[in-house]
Amino acid sequence: MLELRDVSFGYESTEAVDRITASFGATQLIALTGPNGSGKSTLLKLIARVLAPHAGEIAFDGKRLRDWPAKEYAKQVAYLPQDPDPAFSMRAIDVVVSGRAPFLGRFAWERDSDYDEAAQALALCDVSHLRDRYLDEMSGGERKRVFLARVLAARPRLILLDEPLASLDISHVQQFSALLRDIVNRTGVTVLYATPDLNWAAPARAGHRCGGTGQTQQAFEHRGSCAQNQGRWDDR
Amino acid sequence: MTSTPPERTRLSARCADATLRSVSSARQQQRLVGAVALLALLLVIALLLASSAGATNASWRAAMSGDVTARAILLGIRLPRALLAALVGATLAVAGVTFQTLLRNPLADPFILGVSGGAACGASIATAAGLARLPGVVPLIAFAGACGATGAVFLLARRREYTDPTRLLLSGLVLNAFFSAVILISFGVSRQSDLTAALRWMMGTLFGATWSDVILLTILLVIAIATLASIGNDLRMFSFGEDDAKSRGVNVERVKLIGFITASIVTGAAVSVSGIIGFVGLLVPHLIRMMWRRDFRFLLPLCALGGAILVVLADLLSRTVVTSSELPIGAFTAVLGVPFFLSLLRRNR
Repeated sequence: MLELRDVSFGYESTEAVDRITASFGATQLIALTGPNGSGKSTLLKLIARVLAPHAGEIAFDGKRLRDWPAKEYAKQVAYLPQDPDPAFSMRAIDVVVSGRAPFLGRFAWERDSDYDEAAQALALCDVSHLRDRYLDEMSGGERKRVFLARVLAARPRLILLDEPLASLDISHVQQFSALLRDIVNRTGVTVLYATPDLNWAAPARAGHRCGGTGQTQQAFEHRGSCAQNQGRWDDR
Repeated sequence: MTSTPPERTRLSARCADATLRSVSSARQQQRLVGAVALLALLLVIALLLASSAGATNASWRAAMSGDVTARAILLGIRLPRALLAALVGATLAVAGVTFQTLLRNPLADPFILGVSGGAACGASIATAAGLARLPGVVPLIAFAGACGATGAVFLLARRREYTDPTRLLLSGLVLNAFFSAVILISFGVSRQSDLTAALRWMMGTLFGATWSDVILLTILLVIAIATLASIGNDLRMFSFGEDDAKSRGVNVERVKLIGFITASIVTGAAVSVSGIIGFVGLLVPHLIRMMWRRDFRFLLPLCALGGAILVVLADLLSRTVVTSSELPIGAFTAVLGVPFFLSLLRRNR
C-alpha cells in the first residue's frame, strides 16, 4: 500500500530523515519509535504530504505522492498532528465532521451522510456522549479520542498519528492502545504512530498479531550516517 | 438463534443515526438563513434610523411627499453616509474574521498587519506636503499606503515560499510602530490649517460621503466576500493548524495569499474613505462567535451584517450626541461594542 524508497529530508543543515526505505500493507498497527529528534514526526509529515522529500520516492498504491491529486490523497491518508489545538474551541461533532473536508466541494456544506459518518466515528472511539461538548470542556484523554474520531471520519486506509500517547497517564495509554488495536481489527485500516517509548509501543506489536493478517515485520532503519544523531527506526 | 437478527441490528442502527442527526445539514443552513434574516432586518432599521436623524429636521415621509429640501438631505447626504458606514463596518468585520482565521489568533484585526498604519502614513505625508487641499488626493494616497504596507509585510514574512503567521504579525507590528513615527513627524511639519482635517481623518469620519464612494466600496466588498466564500471551506481547515490543513489537501500558501490580499485591499479601500475606525474588526467576529457558531461559513455573512450595524449606529451617535460638532466614530464603536461584548463574555462562562 505504502512504499518509501531512500526518502530523505532535512531542515536547514541537518538531515532529519536520512534515506529511509520501508513498505506497509493493509490492516497493521505500527509504532514508529526512536528518541526525540530522530525524525519520527518528520517522516509522518512526509507521508502526509505536509512536507515534500528532498530525495527519494514515496508511493501510495504504486503511485508517487506528487502524482496524487491533493484531495484524493487526503481521502486515503489521514494525519493527526501532535497537538491539534484550534484557536477557537469547537464542539466535538464539528471537530469530527471537519474530517470529512476532502469530500466537500468548494461551496458545499456537509451532507447528512457526513454527519452520520462523524457520528459513527465518535461511536467507534467510544465518545458518542461527548458529541455536543466543547473541546475545552474535555479531559486530555477525551480530546485525543475525539481527534482520533476526526481522523477516522474520512474512512481513510492509512492513519498517521504523531505521538498520540503523549501526556496520557499509564492507564489511559493502555486504554488508548487497546482502542487503536480494536479500530485496526474492526476497520482494516493501517495505523502508523510515532511514540518515543518502546514500552508504549509494545501493545502495537500485540495488535499486529491480533490483526491476524500475517504481515511481515517491517524493520526499517537508518542506512548510512545520520547527521544529527544515531537514531534507529524500529517497529518493535 | 441466540444472536440478534440482522434486520433488528440494522433497524436499531438506523434509529441511532436518526437521534444523532439532531445536528444535520439542513438545520445548519436554516439556522444561518434565520440569523442572516434577523441581522439584515436590524441593519435596515439602523439605516432608516440613521438617515432620519440629524441636526436638520428631515424625514422620509416629508421627502416622499415632495419636500425638495428633505429629499436633498436624505438622498444627497444622510443615505450615502449611512450606507458608507454600513459598508465600512462590513468590510472591517469581514477582514477581521479573515485575519483571525488565517493567523489562528483571536487578537488579530484588520489593522494589525499595518494596513491602517500604511494608509494613515500616506494620508499624513500627503497632508504635510500640502496636498490635503486638493479633493480626492488624500484617500488615493492613503489607499496606496495601505497596499504598500500590505506588500511590505508580506515580503518581510515570506521565506522560501512559506509565509509564517508569527512573522506576519511581527512585521505588521513593527511596521505600525514605524508608521506612527512617520505620522508624528509629518504632523510636526504640517501647516496648522491642514492639521484639523488630518486629525479628523485619523479619528475616523464619514463626513462628506458620496454616492461614488458607496458604489466603489460596494463593488469591492462584493468581490471580496465572493472570493473569501470561495476559499471558505479551505479557510475552515486552518482551525487545526497549517500542517493539518495541508494533510487534508488544502493548498495552504495559496489560500493564505488570496485571503490576505483580498482582506487587505478591501480594508485599504474602506480606510481611505473613512479614516481609522477601531474595534470593529476585532470585536464583531468575537460577538458573532459568541452568539452563533464558530464556523467560517456562518462568520463571513454574519460579521458583514454585524459590522455594518455597529458602524451605522456608531456614526449616528457620533453626529447626534453633540449638535455643535462631530465626535470620532471609533469612540462610539467602542462605547456600543464593549459593554455588549463584556456582557456576552460574562454569560458565556
